[in-house]
Amino acid sequence: MTGWTRRQFGYLAGAMSIGALRPLAARGQAKAQVIVIGGGVGGATAAKYLALGSEALDVTLVEPKTRYTTCFFSNLYLAGLRSLESLTHGYETLAQRYGVKVIHDSVTTIDPVAKNVSLEGGAKLSYDRVVLAPGIAFKAGAIDGYDAAAIEIMPHAWTAGSQTSLLRRQLESMEDGGVFVLVAPPDPFRCPPGPYERASLIAYYFKQYKPRAKILILDAKDTFFAQDVFEDGWSRHYRGMIEWLPGQFTGGIKALDVKGRLIKTVGDTFKADVANVIPAQEAGRLAHQTHLVDQSGWCPIDPMTFESKLQPGIHIIGDAAKAGNMAKSAFASNSQAKVCAFAILAALTGSERFAPHLFNTCFTLLAPDDAVTSAISYGAEPETIKVNDFFLSKIGDKAETRRAAAREANGWYAAFTHDIFG
Amino acid sequence: MPGSSTAVPATAGHRHTALSLHLIIALSMVASLVVSVAERGLAADNDRGAQLAATCAACHRLDGHNRGILSIVGLSEEQFVTVMTAFKSGERSGPIMQTMARSLSNEEIQILARYFAARGKETQRR
Repeated sequence: MTGWTRRQFGYLAGAMSIGALRPLAARGQAKAQVIVIGGGVGGATAAKYLALGSEALDVTLVEPKTRYTTCFFSNLYLAGLRSLESLTHGYETLAQRYGVKVIHDSVTTIDPVAKNVSLEGGAKLSYDRVVLAPGIAFKAGAIDGYDAAAIEIMPHAWTAGSQTSLLRRQLESMEDGGVFVLVAPPDPFRCPPGPYERASLIAYYFKQYKPRAKILILDAKDTFFAQDVFEDGWSRHYRGMIEWLPGQFTGGIKALDVKGRLIKTVGDTFKADVANVIPAQEAGRLAHQTHLVDQSGWCPIDPMTFESKLQPGIHIIGDAAKAGNMAKSAFASNSQAKVCAFAILAALTGSERFAPHLFNTCFTLLAPDDAVTSAISYGAEPETIKVNDFFLSKIGDKAETRRAAAREANGWYAAFTHDIFG
Repeated sequence: MPGSSTAVPATAGHRHTALSLHLIIALSMVASLVVSVAERGLAADNDRGAQLAATCAACHRLDGHNRGILSIVGLSEEQFVTVMTAFKSGERSGPIMQTMARSLSNEEIQILARYFAARGKETQRR
């Protein structure tokens, strides 16, 4: 009833439906085909805004799963503060309200020369443009012994769903006095504050139910995002519970003994009761297979359009994109998806292009009533994306400021997921 | 002057009619040019407004619903510009909105103000 429908957006969006600016539709040709691959935050946002922007496009979203569980806010689930169901979203509204054709299948290959996409189910779809939002993959062999079997014993829980509920079950069954070890990845990785928010909220859970438990963070890095703010929060809320060891102290994580729940660094071996191993990351599988990745393991793109620098006609958004100084976050993926959708609309329908706006906002919980915020605006330049303006909460903020931010975080989750899936 | 012509029949009566016709055609051409330029300007503004508003939609629901984060749909043009200008100058507190407002030019704030005011009227009608 009060939703933002395609027709109403068109009414206000105006120029997109003025005849002269719609060459494809005006000539009565077949509609331009845009295929969005991957139904996470980036992919779902791109599909919605492409479909909203013009009726001269056919927008298809290909995603194997019928439900998507957000990785952001999943630390609240691990702490027992939210259900996994409340973090899970479907694609029905994208299909019904916006006219996105949703296909639940896996892409086997993208052929950038013939311009088609092959699906596991046998279908072959032609495209004018592809938007690829493959998310992250874990670097094979980064830690000895971390294979498919190990993941079921020492979960990464860095893509949300069954991995997250596995980690929650392990935390619940851990004895009071046990040790939870979190292995934090090297840069760049999805959600820079994520591992440290996870340690904070699991400490909150332990404080109530297993007050003698300890948390050990074995980091590949020597510093981390908002470190002083986290360490201040840990000393205020969870004194003596969380220990963080930097890479320079341990010499780095080398191997796992999954059976013994041992984590081996260059200098020491640590015994865990529950281990959460978040490995080094790179762009998702399909990006590698389609030769969209450079030596960094991520996909170089044109910052104004997010079109690949390696394969024309394919745009890459979200965590897999090499987007200059933009953080790998859900908010950033959503922001990139909109810039990318407007660039594709301009290319295919002739709608006018405007200066792109790229932004990132982050709510990070140190405790249920203590949230840290950050806000970053970026400038897209021909070769990179730079930080224009930056805000981060500080040590010594008033308690009421942090409480208000925690309340705002919940409102933000509702609005943000509505922007993506609603 | 477009539409003026020397290739006109010789008789006065015909000449008069012919001139009028030319004048009408010329005037209507000019008029339609003016209208289409104005329409395109307005449409481009709306289009730009819709694209800029997409950034706001990551935190503010644009359907008038309000759960934890204030709705910005339905603010008058004047209210919107006043609030955003105060965030931009730092006169009004709120670090996320200050950062957002500083990323917008004054022209972009104006365009957003018009867009949200129009959307507010649209939402009320439904």
